[in-house]
Amino acid sequence: MEKLSFAEIDNTVNATLEPPGRMYWTVVALLFCGVLVGAACWGWQILVGIGAGGQNSPVNWGTYLINFVFWVGIAHSGTLISAILYLLRAGWRNPIARAAETMTVFAVCTAGLFPFIHLGRVWMVYYMLPVPNQRTLWPNFQSPLMFDVVAISTYLIVSVLFWYTGMLPDFAVIRDRAAGVRKKIFTVLSLGWTGRYEQWRHYSRGYLLFAALATPLVISVHSVVSWDFALGVAPGWHTTIFAPYFVAGAIHSGLAMVLTLMIPMRRIFNAQRIITMHVLESVAKTIVFTGLIVGFAYATEYFIAWYSRNSVEMEVFAFRSTGDFALQYWIMVICNSLVPLLFFIKRIRTSILWLFAISIAVNIGMWFERFVIIISSVARDFLPHAWGDYAPTGIEYGIMLGSFCLFFFLFFLFVKHLPSISMTEIKELQHQAGTHD
Amino acid sequence: MDRRTFLKLAGMGSLTFASACTLESEKKLYSLVKNQDDMVSGKANWYAGTCRRCPAGCGVLAKNREGRVIKLEGNPLHPVNRGKLCIRGQSGLQAVYHPERPKKPRIKQDGRWQALSFEEAIVRLAEKTRSAAARGKNRVRMLTCLEGDVCMGLFEKSMAALNGTAPLVFEPFSHEHLRTANQAVFGVSGLPSYRLENADCLVSFGADFLETWLSPVEYARRFKAMHAYADGKKGRFFYVSPWRGLTGANADAWLSCRPAAEAVICLGLIRQVLARKGSSGISTQVARQIRAVCQPYTREKVIEFSGVDPSGYDQMAEALLRAKDPLILGAGTLGRGRGDLQANIAANLLNFVLDPQLGKIDFTRRHRAEKAAGYGEIAAFFDQLAGNPPDVLLLNNVNPVYALPPEMDTSGILGSKQMFTVCFSNFMDETAQRADMVFPVSMALESWDEYGAYPDLLSFCQPAMKPLYGAPQIGDVLLRIAPDGTFENKDAKQELISRVQERWGISDTGAWLQAVRAGGRFEHAEASAGASGPAVTTAFQSWFEDPSELIRSESLLFAALPSVRFFDGRDAHIPWLCEIPDPVSKVAWQSPVLMHPETARKYGVRTGDGINLINRSGAVSAPVYETRYIQPGLAGIQAGQGHAVPGKYSGGRGANPFSLFSLKRPADAKTAFYAADPLRLEKSGQRQKLASTAGSMDPHGRKIALTMTLSDLAAPPGPEKHGLAMHDFPLTLPMPEGYDAHRDFYPPHDHADYRWAMVVDLDRCIGCSACAAACYAENNLAVVGEQEIINGREMSWMHIEHYQQMDRPDQPIFLPMLCQHCDNAPCESVCPVFAPHHNKEGLNNQIYNRCIGTRFCAQNCPYKVRRFNWHDWNWPEPLNLQLNPDVTVRSKGVMEKCSFCVQRIKTAHGHAKDENRKIKDGEVIPACVQTCPTGALVFGSLMDADSRVSKLVKDRRAYQVMGYLNTKPAVIYLKKVVHEIR
Repeated sequence: MEKLSFAEIDNTVNATLEPPGRMYWTVVALLFCGVLVGAACWGWQILVGIGAGGQNSPVNWGTYLINFVFWVGIAHSGTLISAILYLLRAGWRNPIARAAETMTVFAVCTAGLFPFIHLGRVWMVYYMLPVPNQRTLWPNFQSPLMFDVVAISTYLIVSVLFWYTGMLPDFAVIRDRAAGVRKKIFTVLSLGWTGRYEQWRHYSRGYLLFAALATPLVISVHSVVSWDFALGVAPGWHTTIFAPYFVAGAIHSGLAMVLTLMIPMRRIFNAQRIITMHVLESVAKTIVFTGLIVGFAYATEYFIAWYSRNSVEMEVFAFRSTGDFALQYWIMVICNSLVPLLFFIKRIRTSILWLFAISIAVNIGMWFERFVIIISSVARDFLPHAWGDYAPTGIEYGIMLGSFCLFFFLFFLFVKHLPSISMTEIKELQHQAGTHD
Repeated sequence: MDRRTFLKLAGMGSLTFASACTLESEKKLYSLVKNQDDMVSGKANWYAGTCRRCPAGCGVLAKNREGRVIKLEGNPLHPVNRGKLCIRGQSGLQAVYHPERPKKPRIKQDGRWQALSFEEAIVRLAEKTRSAAARGKNRVRMLTCLEGDVCMGLFEKSMAALNGTAPLVFEPFSHEHLRTANQAVFGVSGLPSYRLENADCLVSFGADFLETWLSPVEYARRFKAMHAYADGKKGRFFYVSPWRGLTGANADAWLSCRPAAEAVICLGLIRQVLARKGSSGISTQVARQIRAVCQPYTREKVIEFSGVDPSGYDQMAEALLRAKDPLILGAGTLGRGRGDLQANIAANLLNFVLDPQLGKIDFTRRHRAEKAAGYGEIAAFFDQLAGNPPDVLLLNNVNPVYALPPEMDTSGILGSKQMFTVCFSNFMDETAQRADMVFPVSMALESWDEYGAYPDLLSFCQPAMKPLYGAPQIGDVLLRIAPDGTFENKDAKQELISRVQERWGISDTGAWLQAVRAGGRFEHAEASAGASGPAVTTAFQSWFEDPSELIRSESLLFAALPSVRFFDGRDAHIPWLCEIPDPVSKVAWQSPVLMHPETARKYGVRTGDGINLINRSGAVSAPVYETRYIQPGLAGIQAGQGHAVPGKYSGGRGANPFSLFSLKRPADAKTAFYAADPLRLEKSGQRQKLASTAGSMDPHGRKIALTMTLSDLAAPPGPEKHGLAMHDFPLTLPMPEGYDAHRDFYPPHDHADYRWAMVVDLDRCIGCSACAAACYAENNLAVVGEQEIINGREMSWMHIEHYQQMDRPDQPIFLPMLCQHCDNAPCESVCPVFAPHHNKEGLNNQIYNRCIGTRFCAQNCPYKVRRFNWHDWNWPEPLNLQLNPDVTVRSKGVMEKCSFCVQRIKTAHGHAKDENRKIKDGEVIPACVQTCPTGALVFGSLMDADSRVSKLVKDRRAYQVMGYLNTKPAVIYLKKVVHEIR
């Protein structure tokens, strides 16, 4: 990283909080309209029933759970970058840690909506809460869906706290430079941060603690999500590789999403000097690694199906790559495990255009991975007479559009209102590199 | 804004918000302050009656709750059906509550319908008939469906008083060819009974006795008496026909042949039988004539002309020659061409040469359907109407416009301005649309009547409920429109009482009440054994001609195929029958063109392609359905649909195969017949998704619908090796002893007193789908419609799954699939809110109120028996009156599935508790078990060592579908027994 003075860092980051232009508000308004479209579609679905979507018997789960897993997956690499790489002292994560953690929080929020959207009777969702009640009903903790409730809510709480804690010193910087209402708001938000030694000591202990808390969650939350499937009996689901396979997939998709978000952001905010090519290249290298893991998982699934000599299992996997959803399957394989291999070539992993294009490809591939897993197994499960087909309807596409719009809507609001690059951590980086003078 | 204004606004706002958002409008339950004598709220009354959905006339018990009939079950005392009903019988209830049933008579004035009151309509009609009668002879004519003796007597008397001839009986399925063949061979123009139960080898040349032929429920029972595995034996059944429907699907072998070539095969068999067995017991003259007829039909010729598979033919001939008690059935109900008549004659001759005593054909117990008029008579009747129209034409529950060939122009004739056409009908079908007056009359469940399908069988209809719209019964109407003084009785009920008194000698009130309670008098109905066959005439010779033209035809031929659901089309508007798929094709709501894949390839079409079939008589358009169960070169459409009337259920749905037929009246022939001229096929360019409920009929080698050969069963059981793989996993009962610490994760369930279970004997299941219809009626299952079936959202708790047999993919097998009530249920562990709940009696209950609709249970169910409410389904009024008050109507967003009729179990608990005892074996009978015509389903408790299920699960054939998943299902299947292929 080239030399940057603390003032330069502060200036660069504070510049992102300048009052935005008309263009920004137009985009935000459009995204909000998208959110409204999704909300309207959901409202319609509540009115007429889940039949508004394309789910059926035997494919009882559709895009809602695909999107749920997709967004939870996106969330994971945020925590990977902000927490695990923090613990591993990987300096290159500092410039993107804030944005990645934000991505985690918003992705979990978006993901958290989908189980609600998915429910047949969402108005009865409180039946899942373990509160003593006069109906003397208690949730079934055997159910992987209850694991989900616990895991996702824990993850959301820890991520939000971790995110907020990390921002404290930065809030103080903004407070010091702001005036008027903004100053008042940031005074409250910065919780009286003065930068005393004691505060820094507590802060760094607290941050470390949250990082240590969040680290196992990266592994456990997506393992729990994978058990939604692996604890079921359906062929193609009932397998022990699901937890590591899902975690690797989650990080794979999340890293791609980080690239997708960072590349435009560094350009718009002229943060090339902070989010350097080295940072992006490091992300790309990690994507190669996770891509190899998911590719290995795909191969393992086929090997196990063949090795088991279980006709049901073999049929499902034969169907995946050659049946009605073969197109989705091959999109998944190519985008997730073949395309990222291009990052082995230095010229590609240092080209902004290539990085961006491949990150989009991996995002698409990972969405289709969830599609292939969730749809194709039950479409061809045990009873041939019950085999069926699935295609999402307009309502589902509307809700999906709404979810993407919601995520980007929140992210857009975030980048112009909160420090999207951690000033503290960049300064630490400068300090560690010994370039501070 | 100050604080006060804020508080005001907030208060007003929240009040407005709260008051504007009310739930659905309040529904109140009222209990009757003054009950009728025989009505206790919450308790059902059962009334015996007779099903009038087809001429079979099965006995029914109608369950009346709070004044409405909500369920039909077979009358166990009735000799025809012995407590069972078919899919149509179960669904008959929806005809009563059909939303399109006319409420009032209507008269057409200037092309528009005007409603009348019943009284007004009778007065107007009486004016018309009486003035017509005064104008001379035969100015009033009548066409009626087949009715009972009393009703027919009443019709005849009225018509005579109105100066007219006796009414003509029109049944589209008149079995005329069978009757003519019996006349030609045996000199009896009638329909005998066939004692299938006494046969050990059965050959049908198209007789669809499980679908529409004569009396399907009765023959299903008789068929299974010979064809179910018992005492190490099982009869053989061959089906010879260009098409394999439900009856054919139950055959041990299907011999496909060219259309109209059945007679050739049959004559070939006669030749072989005569050659092998000689003609003992047959008079020499008759024998000589039979020889003369069958002489040209050598094995080679038969195979050449009929296109039958040689080895199949040899096997059949061999089986027939070895059989001790062979029985041959002729052509099917819908066989209308000359070839079918020949097949019937040849079948009669074959029966005769095999058994000159005709011990299995009972000419004393003749079926009432023989009273239906022949094709020629019907044609002559319409010719008369066209040539010399009467003043008034009365039509009782017939639909000739639909069922007769278009060239007869029944539509134009009935629409004629010169005659006043009155249609006594409960549905605005094609004929009713063309009438001048439509008079809805009360239906069989609402009126006093009698219908016995056999001589000496007295089978009552009685009002099991008040007529829904207060319609009078047709007898009363005819009584009123006849000139005064025609009848000494004041109404049709009195007429019935006096006729019954006369004929059956029921004179005192006690005997009458007893008979009405039982549903009739059944003692004499079956006492006719030992009657010998009639003498054989020699009038059959002239019917056979050179068969060489059979192979000349290169063009696409057409056949109308019988449907177990729609009969002759009168039931096409009944929602359940539309919704439950055809058991063989598994297509609901539609009537596609069945076509062999070879034929489809020849014409460049595939499944789902819209085509138009055009011939000289008419045209139909329908999608293609490729199936191997039809002879190449033949296109077939199941009869019943394709009604050109407005209507939600039948209107414009499917195709009417009858519209491709034309009437043939050869100058020399003694009988008329219908035939479809060769077709031209045009692609319509549209594609239509078929509303099929079957994903794949190939079992993919899985342990689903299994078979076992007779010789395997005869061999002593070898030492069984058990493993954990699909095909060696042991039978694991859903009981504590089924627990194995090595295999099980969760502890076993203990059961209190009962562990409910069902045994399904695949050897007895014929796939008729009556169980599915019974389930719809009993459990308030929703009808979702064609589009939602295409979307994969049918709600049926009971699926009849059609698979290919594993060892013989050319042979079908039916598997009733319902909730397996697993002991180790995959659905139970995954629900976050305990909506699927394992109760103390082993039932897997679904608690609707608790369900939040995650659908995880359905995903995790290997049997895919869970049904989700994708929408709020509706029951258009008054169909909702049929709903069973003992069963919740489910709302959108909840999962449902088979409950083993838990409401019936609860009722039995109540009775047992009242009497301070345990529930007896056989006391709880779920709706599906109750109606199964062949007794394939048995229900009971596994905790009771003496129960039928406990005994049956010890059968060597017992297995569990995909038991290797260690779900421990409580539905245990018995493998189908098949004859080995030689």
